[in-house]
Amino acid sequence: MLEASQMTFQGKRRMGVSTINLIFYVTFLIFSVFATLLITEIMGSVLMLLAWDRTRSKVLGYIVPIWEVTGTFGVFWVVVVDFSFPGILIPAAHIYAVAIMLFLILMVARNSSIVFGEYIMNKGWLDEKKLYRAYSLSTIALGTVVLVILSSIISGKGVDLANLEFQLGPWLSSGGSYAFIIGTLLIGVGLAPPFFGLKELRFLSLPATSTGVGLSLLSYYLYLPALLSPYIAIPVVITLLVPVLFSMEKTNALMANKLVFAVVSVVILFSLNFLVYPNAFGKALAVDSITTAGPMAGAFITITVLGGFLLAVMLAIYLFAVRKATSSRTAAAPGK
Amino acid sequence: MVFLAQYALHFRFEVFLRIENYVTMVAMDVFDRFLFAYTIGTHIILVTMSITLIVLISIAEFIGIRRGDRHYMVLSERLTKVFVISFGVGTASGIVMAVEMINLFPAFMTLVASTGAIALFYAEVFAFFLETFALVIYVYYRNAFSGKYTHWVFSVFIALCSIGSAVFITMVNAWMNSPNGFNFAEFIATGQVTGVNPWAPFITPTTFAQVAHVVTTTVFTGAMMVGAYFAYKYLKTSDSDGKAFYTKGLKLTGIVSIVGIILSGATGSHEMGTLLTSQPLKYAALDLNYLPGTNLPERLFGFLQNGNYVWGIEVPNVQSLLAYFETGTKELPGLTQYPLSDWPPLYIHTSFDVMVTGGLLLGLFLFIMALMWIMRRNPFGSRFMLYSQGILGVLALVVYELGWMTDEVGRQPWIVYNVMRTDAAANLTPSLFVPGLLIVVFYAILIPLTFYFFARVFNARGLSDDLSGEAPNGGVNY
Repeated sequence: MLEASQMTFQGKRRMGVSTINLIFYVTFLIFSVFATLLITEIMGSVLMLLAWDRTRSKVLGYIVPIWEVTGTFGVFWVVVVDFSFPGILIPAAHIYAVAIMLFLILMVARNSSIVFGEYIMNKGWLDEKKLYRAYSLSTIALGTVVLVILSSIISGKGVDLANLEFQLGPWLSSGGSYAFIIGTLLIGVGLAPPFFGLKELRFLSLPATSTGVGLSLLSYYLYLPALLSPYIAIPVVITLLVPVLFSMEKTNALMANKLVFAVVSVVILFSLNFLVYPNAFGKALAVDSITTAGPMAGAFITITVLGGFLLAVMLAIYLFAVRKATSSRTAAAPGK
Repeated sequence: MVFLAQYALHFRFEVFLRIENYVTMVAMDVFDRFLFAYTIGTHIILVTMSITLIVLISIAEFIGIRRGDRHYMVLSERLTKVFVISFGVGTASGIVMAVEMINLFPAFMTLVASTGAIALFYAEVFAFFLETFALVIYVYYRNAFSGKYTHWVFSVFIALCSIGSAVFITMVNAWMNSPNGFNFAEFIATGQVTGVNPWAPFITPTTFAQVAHVVTTTVFTGAMMVGAYFAYKYLKTSDSDGKAFYTKGLKLTGIVSIVGIILSGATGSHEMGTLLTSQPLKYAALDLNYLPGTNLPERLFGFLQNGNYVWGIEVPNVQSLLAYFETGTKELPGLTQYPLSDWPPLYIHTSFDVMVTGGLLLGLFLFIMALMWIMRRNPFGSRFMLYSQGILGVLALVVYELGWMTDEVGRQPWIVYNVMRTDAAANLTPSLFVPGLLIVVFYAILIPLTFYFFARVFNARGLSDDLSGEAPNGGVNY
């Protein structure tokens, strides 16, 4: 039995935590969507670099209408982080000054190369293929910068919170960093065939994904064994299920459905939130201590609900347009 | 001796280190300002193009559908391709802006994020998001809707969201000029943000004036720039179909420019009036008022030298007349009423005068154009008008950039007026220098390349091909 005072205290704490949690979880959900979009672009970029002729049509058919949305989600996430965690902005600006600048340059390079690639008519030295390759390289490089930042936020490796510095030496000296980057990229390679419906690359999917998952788990262990919570089973199982289901005739169409894949990916990424909550930077920084509160929290929730509703309506119209366009293309196809 | 030598060496080293630190810190503060001014000055060009293009696209498509005019439909389709490029590069540039603000001025963004100003950014992102989705539907799924006007409706939606984004961002700028929604005294004394009203920054004393002026001048500037390109193409084209096509383009940009200059003038005058109450020091600097007074002259160009006005023209009483429609009673502010350390750089008087002179020149040109239309004469039949349109299109951009420069430099030394100084907000990390320079070089290559691509994409296919049918997938390579 709890004492009345204890109950009140716990109740208050629960109320306080639930408000803060909501802001964190909304922010993390937005991050999960942004990361899903970015990961799918990276997967497509890898395929375009490795097998341009075989993958061009399927990959560009996805990337060309979506890359603007990815970029917008990037801005969205940056502003949401500003709103949710005002206390982290000064430390982040100092710690990741160089990484952020590199990210910006790569972002502009990515956007400009793909948009030029979309419309280039010149078949001289600078052609469509070169521009899409430039896009692929800048997207992969951008993804790598994001992974370096993420790995340090999770593990705290290379981050000197006292002096607000990021030191590459300590980050590189940790085996976990290599395992994290290689593991994540391998997962991307493994999940690319299901996402783009490339049955001929099906053989690659399960080995690459399972090796990637194994390396990711190893990275968490090498960084800090305490990061390996029992919750890790959720993303591991779901991630491995994707290539397994794709390898089966009855279910491969389901896994190749981009919307299903995107939802699964968001669930996987969202379920990894325990890596940075309640404590980030290798359990050194309490996220609650830097989260916005009071009337600002109320404003955040209000605008998120209103804006989210408008976005949901727009998304429904978008999906309707995609379905209509797909069905009219199918109807117009020969033999139909 | 050895000890003394060591001490001297150590002392010299310490002094050197201190000087180096001092220089580095001062230089980084200046560098942060320069880098942000450079990137936002560049970003503004893309934003101006994007906002105006979608307005022109929407009007052209509407006329095209309404009149069954293929010229206007092709104009709309070609401008859409240019718009997508502008939007794509502009989005990346927007991310640069959003992140640079954190990276270069973290203390400022911390204040923004702790007050309702961040809610404006958040609302802007939602508007931007809606615009993106609508754009994707408009460009890539143009055949998904069968209704005659359904596709056009999306262009209106994109235009509204695009302007909406600009409005919210301008509201942030208005908040920087006249902050509200938290306890200033507490913040200045302790650095703590208290008494927050997250909704207050949505309406500040300068919000309406600034938003009205920014929106109208943005559309005006973009229309003049696009008009300049059309004038150039008209002069280069010899076939009659091409002449007809570009004449219609020039009519479109001409009408938008005429409406734009009228509204820009009216809103600009109104904004100047709000400075008297919201930022009197900026007002005094803009008009180079060393001393306050009740019947002050309008000063055209010139400088202040030891408190004396030199090298310019004074028109007696006009400043008081323009501000209050009277002289002799109501006082206008002077620089001496404020501490010297709070004064903005006084060259904003010159930039302001160049801006106004340029605006008047643009107004005169458009007045002549309107007069020719009223007299049922074709303004684009005159080579003088076409050359003028070409030159003044570039001048419009210069005037627009000068306007922003005057506004931003005029608020210095404050980043948030009377609350936070720019140097206190800056990130002094020296490691920003090299990647910052890379951004400068990158933009210097990217922007001309983007404009080159605008032209290439606009003229990718022959006009007769475009007039005869539609390009597959809107001409997108996939």
